[in-house]
Amino acid sequence: MASASWRQFKAILRKDLVMEMRTHEMITSMGLYAILTMVVYQIALTEAGEALDVRLVMPGLIWVAFIFMSLLGLNRSFVHEKDQGCIDALLLSPVDRPVIFFAKFSGNLLFLLAVEVLSLPVFAFLFLQGREGISNPIWLLGVVMLAASVGISGVGTLLATMTVNTSGKDILLAVVFVPLMYPLLRAAVGATFAAVIGGPGSIETFWSWMAWVAGFDVIMLLVAFGLYEFVIGA
Amino acid sequence: MNRTKIARLMLALGGVLTTAAFFMTFFWANASTFPDGRIDFGQKIFYFHVPVAEASFLVFFFTAFYGVKFLMTKDRRFDTRAKIATEVTLLFVLLTMATGILWTKVAWGVWWLWEPRLTTYFILTLLVIAYFVLRNSVEDEERRAVYASAFGILAFIDAPISFFITRWAESVHPVVLAGGEGSGLETPMLITFIVAQVGMLMLGYAFYEMRLHEEEIKERLEALKVTVGG
Repeated sequence: MASASWRQFKAILRKDLVMEMRTHEMITSMGLYAILTMVVYQIALTEAGEALDVRLVMPGLIWVAFIFMSLLGLNRSFVHEKDQGCIDALLLSPVDRPVIFFAKFSGNLLFLLAVEVLSLPVFAFLFLQGREGISNPIWLLGVVMLAASVGISGVGTLLATMTVNTSGKDILLAVVFVPLMYPLLRAAVGATFAAVIGGPGSIETFWSWMAWVAGFDVIMLLVAFGLYEFVIGA
Repeated sequence: MNRTKIARLMLALGGVLTTAAFFMTFFWANASTFPDGRIDFGQKIFYFHVPVAEASFLVFFFTAFYGVKFLMTKDRRFDTRAKIATEVTLLFVLLTMATGILWTKVAWGVWWLWEPRLTTYFILTLLVIAYFVLRNSVEDEERRAVYASAFGILAFIDAPISFFITRWAESVHPVVLAGGEGSGLETPMLITFIVAQVGMLMLGYAFYEMRLHEEEIKERLEALKVTVGG
């Protein structure tokens, strides 16, 4: 049974990955979105010039980009399922609902992480040049990005499954998703700030914010996982 | 005594108690003073703001509670209950925001401050509004009920965060009833507060029950229309 679930999980995930390999739709649209966000940041920050230390706001800015990027990807990932009738076929096939959740969740997580990893150096290149850079070891950033993306993808997968069936679609996803993500984002920005700015005690601050991220991940994933069966069947 | 009668009684009692608390606030409860001896008149809003805020958390709990019950039973009546609980929550949340903003202007000199309690409560407001936006954009009734229940359960997670945040994080929002040194109220203040709180909870129950009654009558009417074939 377990191995059957595992095969089903791999099949659904592979389907998403193969589709991405052929169309490059997710990575391109999310990546372009990230770059566009940076252009908008440049417009927003340009008048402040040297009066503003970009390094202090960068930890927040990257999460703004990531959260909106994830909205784009989450919405895409279910629009396809619905438009092409794939979700109906999945529901008809003898696949356990939790398997569908974990497969879609993993796919979304992979795409989100891929774009995050690609866009972070661009961010650093465009905004941190000639400044101090990232004070603490860079793998700390990887830890926050991974942990927060798990929460984003988990709740996002559940919510996108719902909003794809509504008249509002992507707009509605933003309305329900962003406020739910507030506690996670707040903690992720706190941890990122501690990792980028550094200073005495910043490692402790980092891990105490990470405890919030982890706690939120656990609660949200459990709830999202528990609710998914009801939502996808509706 | 049936539910509607109890609701009417609660409405009357809640009205009397909150009104009584209003007069007690000004004529009986001790005036709190600033360290320099001036009377802190703005503190009087405490007897309205805190009861309505605590009631909002409590009523929102029923959104999640009936959401769970609906998902377990698929009985549409529970979804109606969750919806009405959220309506009452919206009313209380908006009242909390309005009274809170008035107080922050008096006490802190600004209308709004992005501090943990205010921020998380603002998020709670957005979630309650989002609940109705979500409901309105799902056409299929069965699906609407499932989605709304799921979202209500997820959204409720913010309520305890908002409630406890002043105890966890550095917040300038006062924590009056935290226990420990320097907290708590003098007896007349405490009694006034309790009267206001009980009155507010009764009002919350009455609003909920009467809206539910209205909704049930509407549903019966719809069912009748179908059977009579008008």
